Amino acid sequence: MPPRIRSPALPSCISSYTPSARFQCPHHPSPQTRPFSNSTPRASRLRRRMFAWLQGPGRAFKEPLPGSTNYLGAYDRSGALIRGRGLERRAQGQREEGKHASDGAEDEAVGVDALSEEKERLEREAKEKREGELPPETLEDLRPFPLNREFRSQAVLSEELREAIWERVVKGGESVRGVSAALGVAMERVAAVVRLKEVEREWVKKNKPLALPYARAVLAMLPQTPLDTRIKPRAHESINDLPVHQATTTQLFHPVSESRHFTRVDAGLVFDSRLPLLPADARIPHPELVAQASMTRTQAVEAQKALDEKEKEERKQREEKRKKREARDKVVQGRRWDFVFHEVSVESVGEDGRSARGVGWRYGFPHEDRKRGQVKIPRRVEA
Amino acid sequence: MVVRIRLARFGKRNAPFYNIVVAHARTARNSKPLEVLGTYDPIPKPPRPGDEGGRPWKDIKLDTSRAKYWLGVGAQPSDPAWRLLSMVGLLVRGT
Repeated sequence: MPPRIRSPALPSCISSYTPSARFQCPHHPSPQTRPFSNSTPRASRLRRRMFAWLQGPGRAFKEPLPGSTNYLGAYDRSGALIRGRGLERRAQGQREEGKHASDGAEDEAVGVDALSEEKERLEREAKEKREGELPPETLEDLRPFPLNREFRSQAVLSEELREAIWERVVKGGESVRGVSAALGVAMERVAAVVRLKEVEREWVKKNKPLALPYARAVLAMLPQTPLDTRIKPRAHESINDLPVHQATTTQLFHPVSESRHFTRVDAGLVFDSRLPLLPADARIPHPELVAQASMTRTQAVEAQKALDEKEKEERKQREEKRKKREARDKVVQGRRWDFVFHEVSVESVGEDGRSARGVGWRYGFPHEDRKRGQVKIPRRVEA
Repeated sequence: MVVRIRLARFGKRNAPFYNIVVAHARTARNSKPLEVLGTYDPIPKPPRPGDEGGRPWKDIKLDTSRAKYWLGVGAQPSDPAWRLLSMVGLLVRGT
């Protein structure tokens, strides 16, 4: 169906959405403009109520509050912002107070030290400014669905925080694990931020258009985690949660004799003997944080430093290995692409010629792409 | 019977992948060869990270010493195989 376009032939009062205009419109039907329906739409009770709400309490939602969420739950029935109530009251009180103060000030103006007066004025201004701002959102304000009290809108990373993450990982060469622990952002999220920032930079380099107004509008309506420059910043999310393995979501009863020494490792074997589940200690995202919790501060700092060093060393070795491997490859420049020759050995097929690690497509084996557990979506992104 | 070095097409529809094989000339294309010398993936890959030129590349795996042996005992490369082997200097480039 083609989109409905409001016909310019219609009188503006008919096409307007406001109910008052709609019903006050003098009715002049002409056969050209309204060939079929001559009746004005009946204002049902629901319709009246809808327009009453739109004109009254609903007006707050037309223009979203800048830098804040704008959910239904944050307003009372009359359409007033609940957390803004105290603000109004204070403003009223101040107006009255100011009146009294100005009366008294004229009498006492003489004899007060000019310096202290200036200081007081600055303090008062700062206080007024603090009080003039809306207080931060409470949990009540983060409920987009008033009937679902359990659902809370979760904060997203602010632009500055994302930039800081990218700076630390790419420019500073810090590990994803370290940045995650320092800023309280999950490792997967840190990695995603770095990748997306890289993509963004690439797009800027290629002069691709970015949807910046859209990003700004969406971010202005969401709760955000700001960049916190303190040593121990406020965490964005809990970073040391155990991921739930699919295999553990079903119940499993496994009788074990009392005399047997049955550990978490054995329990993992029960779930799958071929590919055993790792115990929680091995699956936890930040085991170093658990270890550091029982240390003193200096010890923890030392341990972290050693860990960072070790990671840096490992990364360097990996990079060197990759470079060495690539140096062995012979690259022949073609017209449009390079041909990269990698040396292999025919011996890798093994004595019977059936080894899975042999070179090339295997003979006499069906392709495994329909087999259970084959992952076909890309598992890594080259940034 | 003539022994040839040729390509055997594997892969899927629109996603070709070749084994570089040594086989008797009259055997079927994808029959079991005497030896698999390597592979040739004709689909260009996006430039590798850290590549300054940013050129796409094609991945070829080859056991050069075995290829040299088979050429020495008289194996005849097909035209595509000749092109590949001449790139690593096992044969002179044909005209």
